[in-house]
Amino acid sequence: MNIEIEEICKDFGTTAALQPVSLSIPAGSLVALLGPSGSGKTTLLRILGGLEFPSAGRVLFDGADATGLTVQERRAGFVFQSYALFRHMSVFDNIAYGLRARPRKTRPAAAEIARRVTRLLDLIKLPDIGGRYPSQLSGGQRQRVALARALAIEPRMLLLDEPFGALDAKVRKELRQGLRDIHDTTGLTTIFVTHDQDEAMELADLIVVMSMGRIEQIGRPAEIRARPASDFVRQFLDL
Amino acid sequence: MATRPFILKAPTPMPGWGLSFGILLTMLSIIVLIPMGVLLWRGFVGFGAAEIWAVVNRPRVWAALALSFRAALVAALFNLVFGVLLAWILVRYRFPGKRLIDAAVDLPFALPTAVAGIALTAIYAPNGVFGSVIGQAFGIRVAYTELGIWIALIFVGLPFVVRTVQPVIEEIDRETEEASATLGASRLRTLTHVVLPMLAPAALTGFALALARSVGEYGSVIFIAGNLPNVTEIAPLLIVIRLEEFDYDGAVAIAIAMLAISFTLLLAINLIQIWSRRRMGAV
Amino acid sequence: MAHCVPLAARPRRLRSATTEPRVVKGVLIALCLAVLSVLLFAPLIAVFDEALRRGWAFALASLGEPDAQAAIRLTLSVAALVVPLNAAFGIAAAWAITKFDWRGKAWVITLIDLPFSISPVVAGLLFVLMFGANSAFGAWLVASGFPIVFAVPGIVLATLFITFPFIARELIPVMLEQGRAEEEAALTLGASGSRVFLTVTLPNIRWALLYGVLLCNARAMGEFGAVAVVSGKIRGQTTTMPLMIEMFYNEYLSVAAFTMASVLALLAFVTLVLKSALEWRHADQLAATHRH
Repeated sequence: MNIEIEEICKDFGTTAALQPVSLSIPAGSLVALLGPSGSGKTTLLRILGGLEFPSAGRVLFDGADATGLTVQERRAGFVFQSYALFRHMSVFDNIAYGLRARPRKTRPAAAEIARRVTRLLDLIKLPDIGGRYPSQLSGGQRQRVALARALAIEPRMLLLDEPFGALDAKVRKELRQGLRDIHDTTGLTTIFVTHDQDEAMELADLIVVMSMGRIEQIGRPAEIRARPASDFVRQFLDL
Repeated sequence: MATRPFILKAPTPMPGWGLSFGILLTMLSIIVLIPMGVLLWRGFVGFGAAEIWAVVNRPRVWAALALSFRAALVAALFNLVFGVLLAWILVRYRFPGKRLIDAAVDLPFALPTAVAGIALTAIYAPNGVFGSVIGQAFGIRVAYTELGIWIALIFVGLPFVVRTVQPVIEEIDRETEEASATLGASRLRTLTHVVLPMLAPAALTGFALALARSVGEYGSVIFIAGNLPNVTEIAPLLIVIRLEEFDYDGAVAIAIAMLAISFTLLLAINLIQIWSRRRMGAV
Repeated sequence: MAHCVPLAARPRRLRSATTEPRVVKGVLIALCLAVLSVLLFAPLIAVFDEALRRGWAFALASLGEPDAQAAIRLTLSVAALVVPLNAAFGIAAAWAITKFDWRGKAWVITLIDLPFSISPVVAGLLFVLMFGANSAFGAWLVASGFPIVFAVPGIVLATLFITFPFIARELIPVMLEQGRAEEEAALTLGASGSRVFLTVTLPNIRWALLYGVLLCNARAMGEFGAVAVVSGKIRGQTTTMPLMIEMFYNEYLSVAAFTMASVLALLAFVTLVLKSALEWRHADQLAATHRH
């Protein structure tokens, strides 16, 4: 699914979190929103997911206006920075949550839900942890469960807020490849927020560099490295 | 474990162990341990388990015990539901007078029970402000019936659930609720499947506290209850009546029965809590 | 610097994922306010309304009666004895529990909390059994001219039992959270034990202590069930304010009963105001459950 962002802006009271920004994301790409904290990258991601509402502007999914869609209707697989796993549910129930929340007409049968959850557990390479609770998992395992839970609803896109932020360096490296693999298998348009330029450079097809609510540069990693558009980009990327 | 010698206290340079532990142990003994010991000794050694059972197993005593626990359960259940709702509103919503309401929730802690008792009786009596209206509209009497006892116990137990659940609601990570919404769950489903289970352990604690308080409550109930034997006579009142008749053994037997039932209830609730906490991980 | 120019109002059905629809909010707030009015506010108003049925002068005159005066004096003296004793116990218990590691601590904490789950009437019964004329010890006490039950010492003991956990429960979580580092630092600087307590610990726990004292005092002055059992209800001698309310009420002296109740309701009101002030001003120095 391609995503079109047209002149989206967002005020929080008197402060502008996002200046009007426009961005076009081709279907199936893996995009990094890169910038320091306060650059508006998380706000933009949350607007795409339907968790915040733009003060002005439009969002188009595959050409159709999605600005007025509720968070439930957007079907965006969202992975939160804290993972936000449901502590009182087993891993299995966490992943099945979205399917069970569907209205009766479109809800798969219990056996079908179980089959899908098992398949997702295989996909994240943690086939045996369905019966465990989030408190019994390592940080890296939690991140992968959150990813599987987001994928379970057959999302139209995958949105990840600092997906590797809470992990140590070694796990981070492993999971980067994991995300790349999942993106390549599912073919989902994937957008992740990061403040780590290495992560963005290594993982993304397309990098959107943001600062103070504005987009500084949009480009492939190699392009950005070769031709930084501003002093900010040069400094932030250490070029 | 077995080979290590018994050491009461780990060594530390902190001063004041003798004094503080001495005061703690002395007062705990004089005020709580010895009196409780005397009650149990008097009951089981002086009177005997069979005799206790004989006292309890009479219709009037049985009715009083059943009434005390039934009414406490009804009131605690009401407070469980209402307390969670009120806590939610006080944390999440903004409305004028919110701070006043928040402070007023503790009124039942601060207001003497006898004051609450006569005040509730005044308004719920057949000639009272609410009592007369309810009587005319529904033909129901509130004061001097079991309904009146429920009202008094709801009043007394009101703050417990609110005060245990409030801090937990404040701690909820909003991302958890957002996650539920992004997965397609309606707000109602998020509340019932995600939020309420997170509040359950704290709510249960509050419920247990309210129940424990209500079972033994005396001051606020006796004015509004009517105190009719077998009908609206609560167990604590029966103890008082036995004492006034100088029937100490009878009073002790009923007291021990009350203690046994409340500790069983509290134990059960504690076990449920340990189980639910274990499932949720360290809380 | 470009600013947001809102195109149109946000569609109504879009709202934050972590709130309920406005209508639902309104209904829930109204429901809560209604229940609280019927349950909390109406009785409070009723107390003052009934007291002033026959005017201020009549109400105030009832407080001037010798029995009423004696009841007020007794309640004040009982509180003046119970609250400091309980504060001493609370500080000692919290110190022993939070500054040292010892066996059986969890059991002792449970035992301190025990009075919370015991009926006030049973609490009174405990002391009647121990010191009443039915026991040998009690009979001897009466014979030697120092009766405890049906006298003031019994009222003090029963009130101590009822309020036993109040101050310790406020102090223990606060002192646990504050840890031992500050006291240890003071010790390394050469301070004596009492100096450490007075200059380091006490300033850190003073608001929590005051909070506990407030609650303890309110309960001590208002206790009914336990005191009713041990007092013997001798007019002018062992009748506290709550017991006096009951007597007046049973004698159909409604104004006198509700006037005395108003005095205690005012006390409750002051307690709530002070308590809320503490919660708003010094939340960081109170047990976590009181922070708003």
